Amino acid sequence: MYGRKACQLVKELASGEKGQLTPYNSDLFDQVIAECSQHHLELQSLIRKMQEEGLDVQTTRNADHYGALIHHLSLVRNKRCLMAYMYNRAEIIRSLIWKVGPVLPQQIQEKLSHTEEEYFKKHSGALQSYMSRLDLDLTVDMVPPKDPYIQVRVLDDIGVVLSDDKTTNFARHSMHFLKRTDAEQFISRGLMEELTS
Amino acid sequence: MAKYYDIDDIITDEEIVAVIFQKAASGVGIDPSSETDCVEVGSKVELPFWLAHELQQRQAVSMNIPTSFNQNTRLEIQADSACVDLRSRCPYFYEFGCKIAPLVGARNIGPLLLSAFKSRYKEVLTKAHTAAFTAASKNLTILTKEETNLYEAAQSSMAAFKKWRMGGPRFQKASILGRKRKSTE
Repeated sequence: MYGRKACQLVKELASGEKGQLTPYNSDLFDQVIAECSQHHLELQSLIRKMQEEGLDVQTTRNADHYGALIHHLSLVRNKRCLMAYMYNRAEIIRSLIWKVGPVLPQQIQEKLSHTEEEYFKKHSGALQSYMSRLDLDLTVDMVPPKDPYIQVRVLDDIGVVLSDDKTTNFARHSMHFLKRTDAEQFISRGLMEELTS
Repeated sequence: MAKYYDIDDIITDEEIVAVIFQKAASGVGIDPSSETDCVEVGSKVELPFWLAHELQQRQAVSMNIPTSFNQNTRLEIQADSACVDLRSRCPYFYEFGCKIAPLVGARNIGPLLLSAFKSRYKEVLTKAHTAAFTAASKNLTILTKEETNLYEAAQSSMAAFKKWRMGGPRFQKASILGRKRKSTE
């Protein structure tokens, strides 16, 4: 009661490393919403009690008034915590598109709730349609590279991949000489690493 | 209003303050020591800061100085502030102090915060710039949240400088995926 569960929710979000998502805690979220309804009921009963006694609700300052005030403040506090929880998660999800690309890896996907996945899909769809209108890929590295080709070592099994004019088999621990733009998306997902000799 | 969504601000507001109720409040179960649902006049309750602040503005309670800022802490900081374990007292020492100072009416919280921060700041920065990757963990456990942010900023700027000097991989695994393997520099 009185904002403690809501603060727990926010602390959970802060407990992950910076920029990382924690799994969506729908139980705690629903509990906080239930608490809000409870505060609202108590608030209404106190206001009704004051009205039954014939007091002016706006100006009287008796014990019921302060009780109603405390319930109101707790409601507002719960709202703030819930909003901050959603807002910060949405911010992280938006940045995901720029860092990881339009396809979410499995480990991130299981941390999102259903609505957050929808949000991600729509947002990346909007970005894709914008990029296709401009005919420009905005998610590549901003700094122009010194060398268009790059040497990489494959970390995880990717299998056979079609690229431009040839098909290459990216087996684990094999080394390849690729064009920078092709290799970028694999590196950002952690499937390859760059070799700097 | 700019801090509405800020998570650190929300957690700072949750710090506990001891208050004395000047007016009674009924229908709230916030006082664990009373048997009924009501809070009596003059009863001492521990409330989170967001509630105490609003009630003080409406003159329903009066706030006391929280335990993190009492005489003991002051003496310890004057003795040697670099070794004081501020995180166990209050992980948001500086932010909370800034919020409490105008409300409690104690004029010496401000200078206390300033002197503590000045001496610890130097320690934090020297440790961040010179310590190796894993060595300074003992020192980190006594820092508040703000000082930890400072420490991490200094470390990342040091790492960026080294990378610029010696070159390193241009592309990195996206940080959101977490670190499956430690990077050794």
